[in-house]
Amino acid sequence: MEETGAGFRKELVSKLLHLHFKEDKTKVSGDALQLTAELLKIFVIAAIRSVRQAQAEELGCVDLDQLEKVLPQLLLDF
Amino acid sequence: EQQRFSYRQRLKAAVHYTVGCLCEEVASDKEVQFSKQTIAAISEVTFRQCENFARDLEMFARHAKRSTINTEDVKLLARRSNSLLKYITERNEDIAQFNLER
Repeated sequence: MEETGAGFRKELVSKLLHLHFKEDKTKVSGDALQLTAELLKIFVIAAIRSVRQAQAEELGCVDLDQLEKVLPQLLLDF
Repeated sequence: EQQRFSYRQRLKAAVHYTVGCLCEEVASDKEVQFSKQTIAAISEVTFRQCENFARDLEMFARHAKRSTINTEDVKLLARRSNSLLKYITERNEDIAQFNLER
């Protein structure tokens, strides 16, 4: 598996998850961490792409209005 | 309390940095500029989404009477969208193959 471009580091994903676990004994396997990092990346790219799409008609700067428009659908998909 | 807060802020900053890199990558092939506020908002949404992910993963593992989250739990997270599930399943196989070879 080649590392192409930007992405979430495993250490960061691990810390983010452990921040919210209810039980201290909950652990995450290495493969699961890598896969979660991938899922997070897809989430961010989906957000970026849908924002871009939302303003396809208009040119220029993507702004918060566009994000607000696409957010409900994005959250339904994840 | 103060320490917890600054730890959260540091994690948020790390998420923000990664989101910024991804935005740049996606924006570079198109002539689109993302405002700083948009990047910050996507980061915030992502940071909050991590809470849902973490809680769900923990519950999925517990449902299977495990305390260690594995890739099956992550695949369950991606169940809502067919294309997402397909992609995640493929990536899972790649990762397993890669780790096996190493």
